[in-house]
Amino acid sequence: MSSLPDPILEGLQRGWKVHGGPHAALPATLDCDVAIVGSGAGAGITAEMLARAGLKIVIVEEGPLRSSSQFRQREAEAYPQLYQEAAGRKTLDQSMNILQGRCVGGSTTVNWTGSFRTPPDALAYWGDKFGLTDFNEAAMAPWFEQAERRLNIGDWLTEPNENNDVLRRGAVALGIPTKVVRRNVKGCWNLGSCGMGCPTNAKQSMLVSTLPAALDLGATLLVQTRAARLELQGSQVAALVAEPVALDGTVTGAPVRITARHYVVAGGAINSPALLMRSQAPDPHSLLGKRTFLHPTAGGAALFDHDVAGWAGAPLSVFCDHFLHRGPIDGPVGYKLEVAPVHPAFALTNGGGLGADLVERARDMPRTQLMIALLRDGFHPESAGGAVQLRSDGTPVVDYRLTDYLLDGVRRAYLTMAEIQFAAGAKAVRPVHEQGAAYASLAEAKQGIAGLTMKPFLTMVGSAHVMGGCTMAADAGRGVVRPDGQHWQLANLSVHDGSVFPTSLGANPQLTVYGLANRFSSGLIQRLGGRPLPLA
Amino acid sequence: MQRRGFLKLGIGAAVVVGVAGAGVALIKPGWVDGKLSPGARDVMRAAAVGVLAELLPAAGPAREAALEAQLARLDATVAAFPAATRKELSDALGLLSTAAGRYALVGLGTAWPEATAAELQAAFNAMRLSGSQTRQQVYHALRDLSCIAFFTEPGNWPLAGYPGPRDI
Repeated sequence: MSSLPDPILEGLQRGWKVHGGPHAALPATLDCDVAIVGSGAGAGITAEMLARAGLKIVIVEEGPLRSSSQFRQREAEAYPQLYQEAAGRKTLDQSMNILQGRCVGGSTTVNWTGSFRTPPDALAYWGDKFGLTDFNEAAMAPWFEQAERRLNIGDWLTEPNENNDVLRRGAVALGIPTKVVRRNVKGCWNLGSCGMGCPTNAKQSMLVSTLPAALDLGATLLVQTRAARLELQGSQVAALVAEPVALDGTVTGAPVRITARHYVVAGGAINSPALLMRSQAPDPHSLLGKRTFLHPTAGGAALFDHDVAGWAGAPLSVFCDHFLHRGPIDGPVGYKLEVAPVHPAFALTNGGGLGADLVERARDMPRTQLMIALLRDGFHPESAGGAVQLRSDGTPVVDYRLTDYLLDGVRRAYLTMAEIQFAAGAKAVRPVHEQGAAYASLAEAKQGIAGLTMKPFLTMVGSAHVMGGCTMAADAGRGVVRPDGQHWQLANLSVHDGSVFPTSLGANPQLTVYGLANRFSSGLIQRLGGRPLPLA
Repeated sequence: MQRRGFLKLGIGAAVVVGVAGAGVALIKPGWVDGKLSPGARDVMRAAAVGVLAELLPAAGPAREAALEAQLARLDATVAAFPAATRKELSDALGLLSTAAGRYALVGLGTAWPEATAAELQAAFNAMRLSGSQTRQQVYHALRDLSCIAFFTEPGNWPLAGYPGPRDI
C-alpha cells in the first residue's frame, strides 16, 4: 500500500457526502438542482463547474470509490474493480475487447494520460456533415486552454521509455515525424501503472481534481449506484431512478429516486445511450445508440536483443499522426500510432498464442515492444459505427462490425508498424493476428502480412476509446443532442460525454470530452439562471 | 432422429448442437453456487494444460497445486463478471462438459481429464484459426480466461520476466 497521502480518504474524513457501497446508506429520495450520471471526464468537469456556480448537485456513479492508497499496481485488482464488466466488455460478436473505466473518475482514473485537442480535420468534418460550424479550432481553443490549465496538461519532457522510443527512433530513421504526448500529470513518478489507477496522485484524473473540488463545495456523490432509468413526462425528465449495485453489477437494495431541475447524462458512450434507451427516451429519427465508434486498435509486437521493459515508465509518451494525413479524411481509413504498456496479463492475453507459442512469448516479454495503431472510424460509409443494444436484463452491448474497409486499414497498419520496428532495430516483428508469425526481415514481414486472412477474430482488434451513440448535430434530423449538449426532445436533459461525438477523433478522447463538457456546462449554468466561472 | 438443442452462446450467436438424446434442459450449468461446477473445472483444467503448457510445472504435486490454484483464481475471475457474462459462460462450460458439446465445439474426441496437452493444443489451434464465430467465441473464453487467471498471479510473473510493480 502506498504511504503517500490519499486525498480521497482525507476528504471522506472531512465529511464529504458520499453514499452507496461501504459508505452511508442510499436515501430513498434526493432532490437537487442538477443530477449528473457518471463521474468520468464529462461528469467531472460538469460537477466542478456547476458546484462552483452554486448549484446543488448529485453525482451518480456505478463503480466504486477507490483511491491512491488502494491502487497497488496489480492487474488482478484493477481490472475487476476499475473497469466496465471487469475489463471483459466485448462487442456483440465478442471479436473485440473494450476497455472502459467504471469507478469514481471513470476512464480518467485508468487511462494512460494522453491529452490531445480534437484534431482540426475531425472538427471540420463535424461542421460539414453535422452542421457544427461553431466547433472549429478557434472556437474550441479557449475551452481546451482552460481544461489544460485545470488539469496541468503539458508536454512530457522526461525521456520516453524504450517501448515509446522504438516508435520515435524507427519513425525518425524513416523520415516520419513523431511528437511528444501531452499528459495530465503533476509530479509523475514515471511508474507506468496508469492503467491500474495512479498510486501517487500524479495523474490529474477527475478522481483527484474536479470531483474533490465539487465534493468540497457540498456535492453529493453516490457510488456503486447505477442509473437504472429516467422517468419521463412529456418532454421533461421527472426523476432519475438509480439502484445500489455490487461490484459485479448485482442489485443489492432499494432504489433511490432523484428529482432535479436538470439531468446531465455522462456515463460514457455505450452506457449513456443505453440509459436513454432503457428510459424509452424519444428517438424520432432512430439515431440513439447508433454511430458508436471504437478506434479499432491493432497491435504489432517486436522482439529486440535488449530489454525493453515495456511495463516501466510513462506508458504513452510518443505518437505519430503521419498515417492519419496521407489522404482525405473520408478516404481509406487512417490510423494513429502509439504504444501500449506491457504488463503480463494485458500483453499476454491480448497478444494471442497458446502452448509453445505462449511459453515463448512469455519468455520474450521483457524484450518485447508493443506498438498499436488506432483506426479513425466514422468518416466513411463503410465505417458508420456500431449500434448499442440492450440485453434482456437491461445492460448494454454494442454491435460493431469490423468491415473490410477497416480491416484493410489494419493490414496497412501491420506493415507500417513492422517497418518502424525494424528501422528501430527489431530482430523480429509479429503482427498481432492469429496467422501472424515472427518475421525476421522486412521482406519476410511484407510477404507474411500480405498473406494474412483479414477477418474478425483472426485479426485481433481491441478498443480503449468508446465514442458516439448520442450524436450532436445542428438539427434534430441528424442528432440526439443539440450543439449545446441538450437533448433535442427532452428539455431538461443534456449529454456531456464522449457519446456526443459525431465521429471518432483520431486522437485519445479525454481532452475533447473535457473541452466539450466545459463549454456545455458554461451554457447550462446560464440556462439555469446562474453565472458560470471559468474552469481555470 | 437426433434431437437438437439450441443454446444461445454469446448474444446473437445461436449455437445449434446436435446433442444426441439429450436436450439443453439436461445440460448442467457450468457455474453453480458462485464457483465452477465439477464439469466446468474439468474443462478449465484441461484448458490450462493446453494453453499454458510448459508454463505449468512438470507432472507431479507442484503441477497439481498450480492447477488447483489456477482453478481458484478462475472462480474469482468469473465471480467478478456481470451476471449476463456469467450466464453465458455457465451455459458454454455446461455444454462443453458434455461429450457431444465437447466434440461439436472443440472437436475433441477424448474426455477432458484424459486429453493430453498435444491433443488439447491441436483442438485449440483448430478453433483459433476457425472460420466459425461460435468456435472462436468458445476458444477465446477458454484461452483468454486461462491467460488472465495465470498472468495476474504474482507467483507466475517471473515466467514472463516481470519484476512486479515498483515500490512506492
